[in-house]
Amino acid sequence: MAERADDRLVRLLGIVAYLDGAGPVDVEELAHRFGVTPARLREDIDALWVSGTPGYMPDDLIDFDAFSLEEGLVSLTQSRGLTRPLRLGTREAVALVAALRAMSTTPAVQADPARAAVVTGALDKLTAATGEAASAVDVRLGGPEDVATLGVLSQALAAGRRVRLRYVDAADVTSERDVDPWRLLTQSGATYLVGWCHRAGGRRTFRVDRVLGAELLDVPVEARGTDADVDVAAQVVADAAGRAREARVRWRSAARWVAEEVPVEEVTDLADGSFEVRLRVTNPAWLRRLLLTHAVDVLAVEPPQVAAEVAAAAREALGAYDEG
Amino acid sequence: MAGEIPAGGPPTRPDERLLNLVIALVNTSAAMTKQQVRAGVHGYDAAASTEAFERMFERDKDTLRALGVPIVTVEGSGHSDEVGYRIDNEAYALGAVDLTPAELGVVALAAQLWSDKTLRTDMSRAMTKLAAAGAGDAVGDAVAGLTPRVRAAGDAYGPLLEAISERRVVSFRYRAASTGQVRTRQVEPWRIAARGGGWYLVGHDRDRDAERVFRLSRIEGRVRLGATPHAYELPDRVDVDAALGARVRHDSTALLAVVPERATALRARSADTVPAVARPGTPAAPAGRDLVTVPYGSLTTFADEVAGYGAAVVVLDPPDLRAEVLRRLRAAAALSTRPQEEADRG
Repeated sequence: MAERADDRLVRLLGIVAYLDGAGPVDVEELAHRFGVTPARLREDIDALWVSGTPGYMPDDLIDFDAFSLEEGLVSLTQSRGLTRPLRLGTREAVALVAALRAMSTTPAVQADPARAAVVTGALDKLTAATGEAASAVDVRLGGPEDVATLGVLSQALAAGRRVRLRYVDAADVTSERDVDPWRLLTQSGATYLVGWCHRAGGRRTFRVDRVLGAELLDVPVEARGTDADVDVAAQVVADAAGRAREARVRWRSAARWVAEEVPVEEVTDLADGSFEVRLRVTNPAWLRRLLLTHAVDVLAVEPPQVAAEVAAAAREALGAYDEG
Repeated sequence: MAGEIPAGGPPTRPDERLLNLVIALVNTSAAMTKQQVRAGVHGYDAAASTEAFERMFERDKDTLRALGVPIVTVEGSGHSDEVGYRIDNEAYALGAVDLTPAELGVVALAAQLWSDKTLRTDMSRAMTKLAAAGAGDAVGDAVAGLTPRVRAAGDAYGPLLEAISERRVVSFRYRAASTGQVRTRQVEPWRIAARGGGWYLVGHDRDRDAERVFRLSRIEGRVRLGATPHAYELPDRVDVDAALGARVRHDSTALLAVVPERATALRARSADTVPAVARPGTPAAPAGRDLVTVPYGSLTTFADEVAGYGAAVVVLDPPDLRAEVLRRLRAAAALSTRPQEEADRG
């Protein structure tokens, strides 16, 4: 796929401004700095070499030392006024500052004062450099997690040590598990711990707000040869998609948030304003709970067996209230 | 892009044309008129007609401004009344940022936050500019093991951000949650916000003449921007959480009768140091249950949560919470017997 013109322009301007300040730089190093291959960087140099002020005579052009370049060294000899790095555009400033602000308020960062200080430092410097435009976007991540729990998990991650968790799952079953923590994934709404669960003998994802207690163990985590850069968010989704059963639920329009907050496969809007979602459910207890909670807005459930289970649970509950 | 190669050399790529325009406007002594740009700047000479040139030049100016290049217009003077263009060299440069390697590690991690392609593009350009400003290598130790991620905001994000930056009124078709009806709304946009899995616009609804919150996912089709910039004032302070009614307050307390060993997550929020006792007049607890007091903020959210436990948790007090939970349970009990009638609602 061809690169966008504006992306390349930003890099071309950036290369000149950087070289003007830094002096001669190795081709490989410069390519690494700007996140491109050395071959692509040489194309950039070639493009810069023929660019300049109107007239485009040799003295009007951006220039490099040709002999150095043959030896793999990029040495700028004429910058044609592009000596300073370009400021951030509004969209760029917003994306950068809003992301840092969101990070600074995540429970996982706030649980650790040293981390919080680094994030705040970066945020302050960038806010000073970009101005106030960035306040147009306001992102808050994470949910109502317990700061003490997050503190233990952060410590375990930093030290590479195992934790013992008391965990209550979606089916309201409490268990104790020893977990080698890999990552804390903070998403809008909740924080998840991803790691190796020794009780299950496999990779598991835990919602931190359901961790009732976390204890740091004096055991180093076992190496599992996992790729640290793996896309955890995609993994969580993939975990949820395995061994799934399909269900269809028709909702009143008032429950439109369901389509937005629950991982649905498909949403169909119906003429009367109601809508139907198709779900893949790995945990039947989770679906029962969703329907029990929001039955007021449920119009129909497929398969009928699911509806029957929910109704039975509700009748049992009404019995406990003495209105069977 | 395939194209014929005209006599006189290969066609100029748009990025190289833009580069030459920047260099020309940075170096011009006073300003350049459009005609000077067309005649002098490499890449514009290829425009087939005056109209084609005008379109190309307007688009290029927009592109450069979006990237942060401060192009200013200069009114014609002396013999010429033609408008000229130059780059404001004072405003061009990024101020000193000087991030430590650890802070740069944080920035690199923050770059992963966005799910939208356009936001990721914005972010990677910002990173390129920081690299150009001499930022060193990032060290990720300070944020090891963290992965922040926010859900995609969708197509409405770009136009809404532009509208807020320029204070333009927007209009869009919006599906109301209460009725499912789609209506056109006219809004002065104040802030784009992400909370609890959803993206929202907070602003002033012109038709209702009041502050309103819109979910971006319920906007249907395109967001249109009004023609006039600076069409309204932003309020000094926008409280997103107050607008969303999501402020967490723990100003109510529920008395619950819980089956032993169950609803552990609820119990964990209890502040009880001694076993809870029912006030006189509250309904009797079913036999064999633990009495637990739990603080809560929103009545409906807490009723949702409690109903989800089914028979394991019975609300004894307060009565309004009990009634809300019972309403949910009755609706659920009716699920298997018949399709619900609209009249059941409420």
